[in-house]
Amino acid sequence: MEDQVCPRCRTTKYRNPSLKLMVNVCGHSLCENCVDLLFLKGSGSCPECHVPLRRSNFRVQLFEDPNVEKEVDIRKRVLRDFNKKEDDFATLEEYNDYLEQVEEIIYNLVNGIDTFETNRRIEQYKKENKESIMKNKVKIGRSELELEELIEEEKQKEQMRRIGVLREETEVKKRKIRAKEALIDELMFSHGNAKEIVKTFQTMEDEEEEKIVEKATHFSTGIKFGKSGEYLLHHGQEEAPLYTYVAPIFETEGPRAPNIEEVLSGTYLEHVRAPGLDERAGGFESTISCLRALQEAVVGLYFKSS
Amino acid sequence: MEYKLEDKWRRYEKIEFLGEGQFATVYKAKDIETDIIVAVKKIKVGSKAEARDGINRTALREIKLLQELKHTNIIGLLDVFGYKSNVSLVFDFMDTDLEVIVKDTTIVLSPAHVKKYTLMTLLGLEYLHDNWILHRDLKPNNLLINSEGILKIGDFGLAKFYGSPNRIYTHQVVTRWYRSPELLFGARMYSTGVDMWAVGCIIAELLLRVPFLPGESDLDQLTRIFHTLGTPNETTWPGMTSLQDYIQFKTFPGTSLKDIFTAAGDDLLDLLQSLLTINPLKRITCTQALQMPYFSNKPAPSPGSLLPLPSSLVPTLVKPGSKRKLIESQTGAILPKRLQFDTSM
Repeated sequence: MEDQVCPRCRTTKYRNPSLKLMVNVCGHSLCENCVDLLFLKGSGSCPECHVPLRRSNFRVQLFEDPNVEKEVDIRKRVLRDFNKKEDDFATLEEYNDYLEQVEEIIYNLVNGIDTFETNRRIEQYKKENKESIMKNKVKIGRSELELEELIEEEKQKEQMRRIGVLREETEVKKRKIRAKEALIDELMFSHGNAKEIVKTFQTMEDEEEEKIVEKATHFSTGIKFGKSGEYLLHHGQEEAPLYTYVAPIFETEGPRAPNIEEVLSGTYLEHVRAPGLDERAGGFESTISCLRALQEAVVGLYFKSS
Repeated sequence: MEYKLEDKWRRYEKIEFLGEGQFATVYKAKDIETDIIVAVKKIKVGSKAEARDGINRTALREIKLLQELKHTNIIGLLDVFGYKSNVSLVFDFMDTDLEVIVKDTTIVLSPAHVKKYTLMTLLGLEYLHDNWILHRDLKPNNLLINSEGILKIGDFGLAKFYGSPNRIYTHQVVTRWYRSPELLFGARMYSTGVDMWAVGCIIAELLLRVPFLPGESDLDQLTRIFHTLGTPNETTWPGMTSLQDYIQFKTFPGTSLKDIFTAAGDDLLDLLQSLLTINPLKRITCTQALQMPYFSNKPAPSPGSLLPLPSSLVPTLVKPGSKRKLIESQTGAILPKRLQFDTSM
């Protein structure tokens, strides 16, 4: 880097430490001062190759070899038109041929081989593939937009996180101050042993700190990986007792009424109207009314008002 | 403090309006004697003809039946009082109902949850049936749940004693989606089977998270039933053709329940199959259902405290104005919900 020198005014980095080399599309560098001087009107020609240049196209030279910058420029320009993607080709071979061709054009332009012929080839390609070029441009634009959105979203999240952390910090600070005040109050107005009081407050503070630490880890990872399995298991299924059927106790305040077996085996049903076919189809059986009548007959027989 | 009958209304301090139905307005209130939150259902006086009768029929049914019933899984009627010309019923305050829970997509219902809900429903229903009462309007909306996770059967506006041999019953009961095939065919004598069928549909809904058989008309309801469970015939359901509104249906083979409820275990499928039996005489009773292996098998029914609550209800104390389902609805009519904007905050 020490031998960086402006090709026009011969200023070196050594003589002018703030020397800044600029480069334009032709790939010839100039120092910032020379650019200011030569392109006062906004445009002019390169002092080396006399190619007409615009001042706004000058940019800081990032690489020592200005040819690299030139190639970057050319590549950018060429790829703007040669913007086909792998999906646009039927076979990998075709795509590779296409890439080869693009590289060749770029190489030619960078090294000034058959410049005229190469430019003609580009023009011809442009004419032939006007439509697909346009289409791909739109496509690229869209995918770039999506990327930008993603970045924006990430930025926002980061900001939210930062705000959260900040809030937490102030919260902790406030809590500490409050605890300190409480301790002082306690010391001032309580008649207990001062040492004890300090000790209890100390332990309280320690506990608080532990809690905060836990929270911080929870925040950074977001999801508690280690605990997730445990959580699912802990649904109280283990502790809950299994169900066993207990027949409800029916308080009759009277003698026990015959149950269904006794009704079916006894002669009770002879005195009950048999249900019709449609009634049976509706779910009605004579046992139902028989059981109810029997129960109503005996229920409350022993009842004594107190 | 003893209240005189005409002064009883003073005991309940209105907190907020909960909802309004065809026959009643429901308020959340506080019993100033015990500091317990209750739901007060004020029966509307209604038309002149009704007023001549004295009191609304559904209210009368509810009062008559509920005053004698006492069970953990049955809504408790705590008090009845009259004020001016209307009658008010005081019920246990219930935070939500099963319909809200089924529809809340943020809630995950585990097999243990489903078992607990089913168990509580059947225990309440067994008690009702043992006392010769048919509920006749079982649906998720009428299975009320409080913040402790206790399910109580509510809305006894259609409930009736059963087992009388010479009384005929109307078949226009039960919300259509939970109506059993014998009711749809117009049976005038029926029994506990109608409630059991509804329980089957409710369990299915708990598993699917959408109504199991959402028929658009009575005919469509039957088509859906037979399409899913297979069309019955005189051998599988004797006397079917003699039912009042019987119509011939196309023969569907039915789908296996295993293919509908892919995540359900075999013991649960057994229970569903027995509840959704088309022939009401073959359908199991509550007592039989409760003794099926499904309930004693693992996983154990989850304890009430671990049952999920709808997201709108979780911070109950912080948000007194939170949206909630109405406590009572009448004869299947869905009560319109009014948004409450809490001004006290």
